Amino acid sequence: MEKKQKSINDILPLDLIQRILLRIPVKHLGRLKCVSKLWHSLISDPDFAESHLHLSFAPTHACIYIKNSTEAYLVHLDEAFNGDNYQVKELSFPFKKKPISEFRVMGSCRGFVLLHQEPYYFVVWNPLTGFSNIVHRSMGRSSYFLDNAILYGFGYDASRDDYLVVVAWQACDCQLLDCFSFKTNSCISLDAALLKPLGLTEWRSCGLFLNGSIHWSSSSGMNEALLVFDLKERSFSKISLPEQLIMRGPTTFVILGGCLALYCHYYRERKTHIWVMKEYKVHSSWTLYVIPCLEFEPLCISNGSDIIEVDPILSVPARLLKFAKYNIREELLQRFTRPTTLPFGHYCFHYVSYTVYTESLLLFPSDSKHKNKKNNIVI
Amino acid sequence: MGSPVKKIMLCSSEKEIFSVEEQVMVQHSVIINNMIEDGSYNHEESKIPLDCVDSKTLKKVIDYCTHHTHHHNDNQEDLEAWDAQFLNVDSNGLYDLLMAANYLEIRNLLDLIYGTIKNMIKGKKIDEIRRIFNIKDHGFTPEEEEQNRKEYPHFY
Repeated sequence: MEKKQKSINDILPLDLIQRILLRIPVKHLGRLKCVSKLWHSLISDPDFAESHLHLSFAPTHACIYIKNSTEAYLVHLDEAFNGDNYQVKELSFPFKKKPISEFRVMGSCRGFVLLHQEPYYFVVWNPLTGFSNIVHRSMGRSSYFLDNAILYGFGYDASRDDYLVVVAWQACDCQLLDCFSFKTNSCISLDAALLKPLGLTEWRSCGLFLNGSIHWSSSSGMNEALLVFDLKERSFSKISLPEQLIMRGPTTFVILGGCLALYCHYYRERKTHIWVMKEYKVHSSWTLYVIPCLEFEPLCISNGSDIIEVDPILSVPARLLKFAKYNIREELLQRFTRPTTLPFGHYCFHYVSYTVYTESLLLFPSDSKHKNKKNNIVI
Repeated sequence: MGSPVKKIMLCSSEKEIFSVEEQVMVQHSVIINNMIEDGSYNHEESKIPLDCVDSKTLKKVIDYCTHHTHHHNDNQEDLEAWDAQFLNVDSNGLYDLLMAANYLEIRNLLDLIYGTIKNMIKGKKIDEIRRIFNIKDHGFTPEEEEQNRKEYPHFY
């Protein structure tokens, strides 16, 4: 039997090996690159990284926490529930020196996390590949702090293969909108896209990226719509909300399972209502899930239907990182609690920021020459 | 009722003919479903040539489709136990099944095999993975291999 001596690489056609690798969670692929040169070249192909992100066979949801601007922690949300020995991972920042001022997570997109060091720097970071790119924000017109911004967000424009930071802010008697392009390392002013002035506190300033657009939710409790900025067209539009949410009071906006979602707490019933827009921009697809738990902060959908939540950061006792998993039939499936050195106590609330993102092996457009090299940049 | 069960003929790489219930293959194989739908299969004289599928593998594929057609109402546990038993083959048998399922586009069998291979890889060190998949010639130069082992000792 000559076949006996043959390796998988000699028997299976390339496209089948590629399809096997596409199903492996992205965080294991770095290791698999060392199996053979062929696997290395398949996994390193930028098209492979793109396909892997889009085929949702094996998305890994990571939650990155930044504490006190100096420490970063990573939790793989899907894995945290598999077995008792899951360890929260401490990450080292992609720069050597201790930052001189506060660092915050500004958003995430396609596996890249955007950090902002007020008021001077943006850092794009793929914690999985170790890639980072630091940009001195020589943005000319603006010297805002995020707290002063009316809107901000981080996203990707596929038509130009470019990552963008969008910021709107109030300057004296007018409102300005800047769009920073990582590809051209320059800033474009898009003031004209603001059809009419935005209410200064009308929208929650931090936007979320999905389907080529950045989305913001209302902060006023009126909840008439979500505000959408299309990164290709560079224009604003709105997505209307389910009637039940209008005038409901404060809601929180998240992206769950690749869908826009809003949730709010009903104190009397001790329940959390989660509204999910199952088909993008299809109003009739808004679907309600009711979770029999009041303090519920959903983070992501795992295994297609389980909703993972973080117990509020201010949970007592402090020093515990708590997650729970519910299924959509409202049953509690599992809790995950880990003692941690993270002082998730009241006193540090303002110094913790986090984002949930899907890990990817993608290269940053400017990085294609360096191929995943680790850049430890000294600020 | 009463009318005989419609059959189709499949021909393996060894030219062995297998007669299978049409419904069984139509339900599982996208390719065969298309052939029946567009009329390119003639029940009087056609045999579907599967030149890249040997008899042993074809028999297994037919077993799989037949079982999943007739037992699709079984409880999930029984089906999973059957699937596990079904895929209890050596790695060459597994590759053959993968190629056959891919050629015939049998999606649930593909998912099953991909899932099995994924579990064979999961949590394993590089040396184990190379052994499982019989990768002797990894293609790295001795220098590259040494570099990798030095840089990522925990992988090996």
